[in-house]
Amino acid sequence: MKLTLPPRISPQQFDVALQAFAGVVGKDWVMSTDADRDAYADVYAPGSAEQWPASAAVAPASAEEVQAIVRLANQHKTPLWPVARGKNLGYGTAAPRMAGSVVLDLGRMNKVLELDPKLAYCVVEPGVGFFDLYEHIQREKAPLWLSVPGNAWGSVIGNALEHGIGYTPYGLHARNLCGIEAVLPDGDIVRTGMGAMKGNASWHLFPMGYGPTWDLAFTQSNFGVVTRAGIWLQPAPEASLELVFDIPEAEDIRWVVDTITPMKISGLIEQNVFIPSWLGKMVLLGQRKDFWDKPSAIPDWRVQELLKEHKLGYWQVALRLYGEESVIKAKAEIIKAAMKKNLDVPPQENWWRTGDPISAFDITMGIPSAVPLQLSDWIGGRGAHMGFSPVVPATGAHVLDQMKRSRRIIDSFDVDFYASFTINGRFANNVNLLIFDRDQPQQIATMKKLFNALIDESAKAGYAEYRTHLGWMDRVMDTFDFNDHALRRFNEKVKDALDPNGIIAPGKQGVWPAAFRDQAKEGRA
Amino acid sequence: MKRLVTILALVLLAACKQEAPTAPAGKGPPPPPPYQMRAEAPAGDRLAAGRDGKALFENHCGSCHLAGGMGTNLLTKQQMMAGQPPEKGLLANRTDMSPDYVKAVVRQGKMAMPPQTRVDITDAELDSVASYLGKAK
Repeated sequence: MKLTLPPRISPQQFDVALQAFAGVVGKDWVMSTDADRDAYADVYAPGSAEQWPASAAVAPASAEEVQAIVRLANQHKTPLWPVARGKNLGYGTAAPRMAGSVVLDLGRMNKVLELDPKLAYCVVEPGVGFFDLYEHIQREKAPLWLSVPGNAWGSVIGNALEHGIGYTPYGLHARNLCGIEAVLPDGDIVRTGMGAMKGNASWHLFPMGYGPTWDLAFTQSNFGVVTRAGIWLQPAPEASLELVFDIPEAEDIRWVVDTITPMKISGLIEQNVFIPSWLGKMVLLGQRKDFWDKPSAIPDWRVQELLKEHKLGYWQVALRLYGEESVIKAKAEIIKAAMKKNLDVPPQENWWRTGDPISAFDITMGIPSAVPLQLSDWIGGRGAHMGFSPVVPATGAHVLDQMKRSRRIIDSFDVDFYASFTINGRFANNVNLLIFDRDQPQQIATMKKLFNALIDESAKAGYAEYRTHLGWMDRVMDTFDFNDHALRRFNEKVKDALDPNGIIAPGKQGVWPAAFRDQAKEGRA
Repeated sequence: MKRLVTILALVLLAACKQEAPTAPAGKGPPPPPPYQMRAEAPAGDRLAAGRDGKALFENHCGSCHLAGGMGTNLLTKQQMMAGQPPEKGLLANRTDMSPDYVKAVVRQGKMAMPPQTRVDITDAELDSVASYLGKAK
């Protein structure tokens, strides 16, 4: 990829900045060839990856090196785009929101600093991936489980900071963060919560602190660079039971949500309950062309045929209970009785007990895997995906309303409808997966228009996305419109106070520093 | 034919899934499959030449390209479509890749595989991995 310089920086100034960075990390860890820029591009970009080009990348090995780089970036007015491992697939990968930003790649900071099996937490650096942490826990024989996202190739901290979701009782990953160390935009370093006191043993245990609590202010944020964090982990349960219900009709989602949510809120069900629609199973059985060989959306009659042929319900609820066997049995009876009110067929029951093997593909048992990414192969070619992901109240009425709206819009663009809902408590995350071929310009153009329509129409009904791709960060921020976009004004006031040169992640989540506010119109999909 | 290959690939997947040995009763769980329990990265300077290519491959590429990994699953399907036996889905079993080809795919990406940065794998590490995997000279 050709070089795109940061705004208002000359080639000479840029070279001087890179030389200064090399003075901190060594020349081998400043990466600025065309091939390097390609490697930091968004490989799943809807359209040309050159819309969000990095100018270079720099990879520090310690918090001290991060501080030095941030100070130099201020001096040279060179904006940085921090990434933990840069595997934010579907949302921009490692690519920056503002063209010409230098990727601050924290992948070399990959130490597990602490693992406490008694109090069930760890302290990790941003470069630690889910596979790394899982393997570390196995080597230590610690009785702890992870909560993993669908793609476990990424960073534990990075995923939590981006509000990633898993499917265990610890599935709200940002809620597992406890005690953060962050380098601020002026190069100062701060520890949040009880860590603000030197030697405080409760840093990663007490989730608040004394005075304002800042941990979550560093999530989806450009207020600093997180260099370590405490992460709470699930104690390994004695046993687990999976109850698998096949739910026949699309509209059944209403009673399913109204049945499960009260049990989730009461604590009877602890996990985040993932409810994927039928396509989630079909992608594992072959490619789209094996089931429907036309470019148009798979019609309803064919969907019904496929469900019958493969003995699938429209939805599948695979509920998992964790803990002592006697408690699980009692809970299972309550759940089965509740579901029976609307579903005659009893669930399939799959028991797991300590010592049994765990399915390598079961993401409800904390096993990292990148296998779910195989869905990219569904349409063949250079497959890519984006998710339209609004948050809705976890009631049947709201979920059905949002499903019908998304479905109507997606149908109108003649695109396959693949929805899932994850009940996380009082709310559900709805993900509408849009799978496309990066080499089909018409498909990409359709996806962009469709995505805009989904954001705008859902916002009119009072629903917003919880996370989005670089190209829609501003459009989604625009939907948060209370009091003439007071939240954005507040964020930008804080940003300008902390980061007058605007050097940390300008434009992240639609928050632009004054220094680069003129760039906000660029890079919109 | 393609359906058949898909089914065979799934059977292979299931086989990979069962590769994890079953522990005798009361001796604790069996170890996870290879792609979920990679060896630790070999010690040494990541920028130095001559480190162990096999160990580097297993650590840096293993979560996708050891048995059961996503890359292995997709490649198994592709290899079988091309008339090759399923075990050719494992890169370590391939004899048709040159070192330069390995380097090009790692740096440029291919199909579902994104390009790898020099933080993911340094040039020196890639040289070692390319020598290990690149059996077609």
